Amino acid sequence: MSGVDAARIETAFSLSFHILFAVFGVGMPWLLLYTEGKWLRSLKNGAGDRTWYALTRKWARVTAVLFAIGAVSGTVLSFEFGLLWPTFMATYGGAIGLLFTLEAFAFFLEAIFMGLYLYGWKRLSPRAHWLTLWPIAISGTLSTLFIVFANAWMNDPVGIGESKGKITADPWAVFSSSVGWSEVTHMFVAAMMCTGGAVAAVYAWGMLRGRRDRYHKLGLGVGLWTVLGLTPVQMFLGDWSARVVGATQPLKLAAMEGVYTTGSNVPLTILGYYDQSTHKIIGGIPIPDGLSLMMGFKTSTVIEGMDTATVADTPNSAVIHLAFDSMVGCGVLVFAVAGLAAATWFLRRRKGLTPRIPHTRFWLWSAIATGPASVIAMLGGWEVTEGGRQPWIVYRLMSVTDAATKSGGLGWSVVATIVIYVGLAAALLLILRKLATGAPPGLDAGAGPDIPSQAPPAAEEALA
Amino acid sequence: MTAVNLMLVIIVLSLLAYALLAGADFGGGGWDMLAGFGRDRSSAEDQRGLISASLGPVWEANHVWLIFVIVCTFSGFPSAFGDIATSLELPLALALVGIVLRGAAYVYRAYGEGASLPDRWWSRIFACASVLTPFMLGVSGGALATGKLRPGSSPLAPFQAPFTILAGLLAVVVTAFLAAVYLCYDASLHPDTQHLVDVFRRKAIYAAVASGAVVLVMLPFFYRDAPVVAARFTDRSLPLAAVSALCGFGSLLVLWKKKYVLARATAAIAVIGVLGGWAAAQYPDLLVGVYTAQAAAAAPSSLDTMLVAMCGGMLVVVPSFLYLLKVFTAPVIEEH
Repeated sequence: MSGVDAARIETAFSLSFHILFAVFGVGMPWLLLYTEGKWLRSLKNGAGDRTWYALTRKWARVTAVLFAIGAVSGTVLSFEFGLLWPTFMATYGGAIGLLFTLEAFAFFLEAIFMGLYLYGWKRLSPRAHWLTLWPIAISGTLSTLFIVFANAWMNDPVGIGESKGKITADPWAVFSSSVGWSEVTHMFVAAMMCTGGAVAAVYAWGMLRGRRDRYHKLGLGVGLWTVLGLTPVQMFLGDWSARVVGATQPLKLAAMEGVYTTGSNVPLTILGYYDQSTHKIIGGIPIPDGLSLMMGFKTSTVIEGMDTATVADTPNSAVIHLAFDSMVGCGVLVFAVAGLAAATWFLRRRKGLTPRIPHTRFWLWSAIATGPASVIAMLGGWEVTEGGRQPWIVYRLMSVTDAATKSGGLGWSVVATIVIYVGLAAALLLILRKLATGAPPGLDAGAGPDIPSQAPPAAEEALA
Repeated sequence: MTAVNLMLVIIVLSLLAYALLAGADFGGGGWDMLAGFGRDRSSAEDQRGLISASLGPVWEANHVWLIFVIVCTFSGFPSAFGDIATSLELPLALALVGIVLRGAAYVYRAYGEGASLPDRWWSRIFACASVLTPFMLGVSGGALATGKLRPGSSPLAPFQAPFTILAGLLAVVVTAFLAAVYLCYDASLHPDTQHLVDVFRRKAIYAAVASGAVVLVMLPFFYRDAPVVAARFTDRSLPLAAVSALCGFGSLLVLWKKKYVLARATAAIAVIGVLGGWAAAQYPDLLVGVYTAQAAAAAPSSLDTMLVAMCGGMLVVVPSFLYLLKVFTAPVIEEH
């Protein structure tokens, strides 16, 4: 394996692993602010609402584990910049350094207040304890902002200058880049959707297995409203991102849609496989003039195709198109669920029925689907962003091959990374399954306002 | 002071914070492993409980000091960072393995309820990883001083001088020393853990003696394997070394007298003396014989912006960090 291949595989693997945990580090604190806030408000009337409290405690434990894995896998990444991409760091380290410095501070605050939050249940007053969530949530969000801005800078390296033979970067230029803001907002909403979808999936699964208590209903509600409520926002942000990509990185857009020939009346192709030798998409469903219409609102809009660059300077459209369609496909699925949910909500409200979204098998399965769909969409989106920039690590300034380490011994480190991460992920799944044991004993189980507890004994046993 | 020097000061201060705070967390992991051996093994589970409780709220924040060192190095000295990382790729990769496994094993044991592996397996992984990481970081620091590292040198190069291996060993015993001293005080705060005070006091004294012994063995190899840095050490760092030795012996005395708060101070100063002495002797080189700080520094405008950002950042982070330490002065035993 060549150095650059090993570096790419290892980076892709450790980044994907880290992102899977980082999204929960970003999303969970905002959900906890809501659930613990509900409990805090209920404290005014005496003992407080035990269900909100139980949900908060459970989610805090899960967050603790996910945050720790996110933190250590993030450390790996900061070392990997130097271990795998020494030339990139040597040239542009100073330019993106400010963003990483700011991110380090944000992460610092997150870790400090996470310690206070997780271990401060008895040492802090309930109100102070709830307040520690604010710095966690805000700095988690700021971490996303700084890190994704650094990534956006690689896609759109603005503000570069030179001083005494060293690369400089205007620290404010990056914050005025539309690539940056479109990427950051798209990623933040994606993180919230993944969190909401995963939460919804867990509680919907529990309800399918017969645990139809108030604890599950509240948990499902928080997750489902988060993911469904944000989907329309995400559709809008995704559309904006595509326009920005078209304007700043035309080859990425061409690879996303498998467009080879520059011209007008370019179709939008759903699914299909891009054949590198014939430059055509095999088996896709073309929507005539679709891409031209989307990008310029008229069929005569000219789209730059991959024929404008040499093959070596073109991203791999076969992979990018597939990743892009996975993202859009999953996004549309969740959007459809959101639309149907909104219609159902209004219909049932007019009829005075509760719950507004019925807990039927169809809806529970739909809720379950939002989790994996959001995660697949998020990972697909990252593949589009990163793979679509190839062969560049810094767009049109430095190629990935030039940036990579020349070290020959990386094969082992790739294998070791994969073995350790897969092992840790497997152990984590077992632990999360164990944590998902439903409401704590003693909590008034099954006393939902609408549906009496009707779990058959077999189901109760299965989850014990 | 120039921006380059200011940046170096920030990096060294962060490194010291990492050594004193996260170092003790790693040392605790080492004691977790040894808890099952020797005359104190009857209280092994209590020892593990106290170690785990003292880590819980703070280890992640303590760990961020390392990320801070890395980020400052690559932002401030980008041209050196890649070569430092690649010439130290083996020890750094192994340190990373330790960091990942230590963190994962800790939370998996604390929250996993044995769902994946039995707790004692995670305990072992936690303990081994806690020893591996300081060892590898010590080797890396020692190797930087030798002046034998070159971009493209063999991955095994950092391990080929006895001095670097001894530096790794020193890091392990020093972290164990810090942990034992801190744990003496932690144990004295709670009636349930009072009986552990003597256990950790004994461990602290052993570790102090061991640290002194490793330093003595190291000295001749230091002058042989890292001549440039060693010569500067004689020139500049003798006062720091003297303070360190004094506080090392002082720690023994103070531990003997059972003054555990004071022992924390003397132990910390002893460690600051050693690390600070090395940092002073390393100056102005980053990778001896290859990069000076000045040559590797980022463009002046980038450095200035970063320094401003750091002042602002520290204004927020330091008070929060002190608040965290204050709230958890006494370890949280069974209440999270």
